[in-house]
Amino acid sequence: MKALGNRSGLPLKQLGLIAFGGLLIAGIGLGFESAFLLGLAAYTCAFAIFALSVNIMLGGIGEVPLGQCVFFGIGSYAPAIVMQQGGYPFEVGILIGMTVSAFLAILIGWLTLRLTGAYFSIVSWGLSGVAMVTALNLEVTGGPLGLFGFTRLAIGPFDLSSPKVYFIASAVILLVVLVFLAHVRSSRFGNALESTRQSSHLAQSLGINVFRERLKALVLSAPIAALAGSLCIPYTQIVTPEVMSVIRTVDALLAALIGGTSLLIGPVIGAVIFTILPQLMHFDANVKVLVFSLLIIFIIMVAPGGLHQLYKSAVARYRHGKKERA
Amino acid sequence: MTMTKFAVVADGVEKRYGGVAALKGVDIRIPEGSVYGLIGPNGAGKSTMFDVLCGITKPTTGSVNVLGMDVTKLPAYAVARRGVGRTFQRTAMFKESTVRENLLYACYGKMQHSVLHRIFRLPVWRHDMAVFEEKVDEVLAVCGLSELRNNEASSLAYGIQRRLAVAIMLMNDPKILFLDEPVAGMNEAETAEFIQLLRTVGCGRTIVIVEHDMAAIGALCDDVMVMVDGRAIVTDTPDRALKHPDVITAYLGADDDQRW
Repeated sequence: MKALGNRSGLPLKQLGLIAFGGLLIAGIGLGFESAFLLGLAAYTCAFAIFALSVNIMLGGIGEVPLGQCVFFGIGSYAPAIVMQQGGYPFEVGILIGMTVSAFLAILIGWLTLRLTGAYFSIVSWGLSGVAMVTALNLEVTGGPLGLFGFTRLAIGPFDLSSPKVYFIASAVILLVVLVFLAHVRSSRFGNALESTRQSSHLAQSLGINVFRERLKALVLSAPIAALAGSLCIPYTQIVTPEVMSVIRTVDALLAALIGGTSLLIGPVIGAVIFTILPQLMHFDANVKVLVFSLLIIFIIMVAPGGLHQLYKSAVARYRHGKKERA
Repeated sequence: MTMTKFAVVADGVEKRYGGVAALKGVDIRIPEGSVYGLIGPNGAGKSTMFDVLCGITKPTTGSVNVLGMDVTKLPAYAVARRGVGRTFQRTAMFKESTVRENLLYACYGKMQHSVLHRIFRLPVWRHDMAVFEEKVDEVLAVCGLSELRNNEASSLAYGIQRRLAVAIMLMNDPKILFLDEPVAGMNEAETAEFIQLLRTVGCGRTIVIVEHDMAAIGALCDDVMVMVDGRAIVTDTPDRALKHPDVITAYLGADDDQRW
């Protein structure tokens, strides 16, 4: 994470990027007709939101939140339960999922964030196991079969059963999350997170309550993970206890690492690669897993700071060469 | 007769780690506005005493009062917010960030804005940034870092990094500065420049230094406390303290006939 701390004035660069994002969404949304591709693109946006939430912890405070799938799962189950048990609309379920996950994050963070490194990761991993077993055994969550057969998946007037609408809604939400997180990074809170990640001792000696800032990071990341969980429902059409599986977090962690944890859109780049690339591989399923895994290992070995590092080093090499030629 | 005001008053400070006593009842009085040195051979308890005074380590027994507050009852971040600055020997800066970003992180205590203020670019955020820009220019100029504001901290020379460590602390206008071996690893020219910097920033501030470089201690400190084996053995001016027989013995070891 890099602090921006811009001076006042019109944020033209930021507005330009937002306009570019808007045009890209409109281009894909209006240009593609394939329901499969649009659905996949919408799911990619939801997965990217989850990867962004994971990166608040990974790139933000330097912790590996293996239990982040708990919040993702709450975000998936809340609308499903609310719709099926209470007859409430999908949007209400999304809000309930985000609120519940934020409160749960306070409790979990209070108990676990005094730990750091591997200890924090292992404890949060354990919590995801507890959540998964709970979902497997409760009646309200549908047990091992989960919940399915949702009648109306819509946000306000936007019916998410239409692939086009589903994609545009997911992509716009992703853009809003990105803009929000960009501002978080360049705020006092973002500066506190970055200083905590780099040196918690020094941050503390500057008057930063390291534990509180770490807790705030978790509480910020939880509703974003829950939102991602909710947005996956129109694609999956079913919510099973596997949404709480640690593998889901590992996928998001890999997406963040591939794209680059220090770059705001790093997890988005990673998510796109992670969901689109396997679709382009027309191999046997087992060979596909093998090739894709090797590819990820290769990317992480070549660019340990994320794929954007390759671009940065290419630019640096070009400039260096230009200087030498001059 | 004028009463001396003390920035630091500690009495009977003991610190035990299990069965090992790192501090064995140390008393210390540091006058306001003075430069005070903590010296002694390795393992004397200087760093532990230093951490106790900053509120990072809590003493087993004894009282520690810094700038009128009981630091034994406050977490380290709260002590820092009340005007106590501390540099570390190793992690004295944020290496992955630029000089300006380092100072921006250090400005945390001076800022008030929330994420919402930042998103909507409200006056609170504008005011914070204006205060920061003004302060950062001043601190960079004092520390001779103005030309390096956009350089990454890890790319700076060692002596410059130590200046940055001081600049980071100055962003919060501390009333008292604790410096952990500030000139360790510097060459003579860098040390001389750094001493000059400390003289400049020391005006009106209390500075406490742990240092092995006796030339730097002699050039900077008004008083020193010599520690040996968790106890303060001499408190005096640097010249007199370093000539004290107990100090000479502590540093060079006792003669063979005295030892046996």
